[in-house]
Amino acid sequence: MVSLGDALFQMTGWLRTTWVVEFSLWVSETRPCIWLQENFLAIPTFQTIHILSIAVLFGSALMLNLRVLGYAGGGHSMEEMAKRFIPWLWGGLTALIVTGIILLVSEPVRNMVNPFFWIKMGTLVVTVLVTLWFHGAIKARMARWESQKEGQGAIRKGAVALIVLWCLVMAGGRWIAYAPV
Amino acid sequence: MILESLWQGLEQSALGSYIASAEYAFPLIETFHVIAITTVVGTIAIMDLRLLGLTSRRWTVTSVSQDTLRLTWGAFVLAVITGLLMFISKAPTYMVNPYFLWKMVLIALAGINMAILHTGAWKTVGNWEIGDAIPASVKVAAGLSLAFWIIVVFCGRVIGFTLGVYIPA
Repeated sequence: MVSLGDALFQMTGWLRTTWVVEFSLWVSETRPCIWLQENFLAIPTFQTIHILSIAVLFGSALMLNLRVLGYAGGGHSMEEMAKRFIPWLWGGLTALIVTGIILLVSEPVRNMVNPFFWIKMGTLVVTVLVTLWFHGAIKARMARWESQKEGQGAIRKGAVALIVLWCLVMAGGRWIAYAPV
Repeated sequence: MILESLWQGLEQSALGSYIASAEYAFPLIETFHVIAITTVVGTIAIMDLRLLGLTSRRWTVTSVSQDTLRLTWGAFVLAVITGLLMFISKAPTYMVNPYFLWKMVLIALAGINMAILHTGAWKTVGNWEIGDAIPASVKVAAGLSLAFWIIVVFCGRVIGFTLGVYIPA
């Protein structure tokens, strides 16, 4: 059986045969990349904003999802919770993507020739799609959330799944630094 | 010095050397640390933005506190446990790292700031928890809290870049 480490190692080897290598090498010679590399505190500063963005996003997701599951926000209606936290989640995601692109440019080869980066991106796409469905399902039912409990099972499962998915996205980000090479 | 031998003893302990040498121990602990600190900062920001009067203004301060406080504390405990595990794997190196030391100072300041708020203005929260009459001292505490935690995240991030820069004697 192939171990997880071996599989990731093989994925790195495969990435080395694709357009990603040439593209990331090209990015590494652009002026933004050189500037980010030459300023010692630039990368940790953008990483800090990146982490603060996911903090805003994840805090908002937790509040709304725990309200769905009945663990928080019981003093507020589902409409109030959705109105308070959904815009902040998308705002956090926007800042996350902008700082993410800057970080991608700052270390293009290390990031792109890296299985964890692509696993993280795949997980992120799935998570955003599930979030879109989740918010849509909440908005469709929020006016009768307390009076009509039946049929909420899928939304409750979605709430749990999304908390796990966002944790996997964060884990993917952290593990970019530990790709087997 | 006694403290220096303590840090060395921690690093050389069975747990310390296991975390430093086992293939995936450190990154795994670090992953939980990141998720924990993200939850701490995310939920504290929800509280602080309410105290500053910038969000959830029609919600009472105590209701926002009830929604966030358990999560904040639960995640903070996880961050401390995972932080301690990482600390003992390289204790002497962390203890000479200025960003690590500043991070500890700022966490302490954030705690003192919170204690002052809760033993002071919070006692009259019923008078100002709804509407626009948030006391200036509360807004200052909330602003300081946000600033402290942002710098905590920054210092934490820089530690990873400077472990090779500050080497214990």
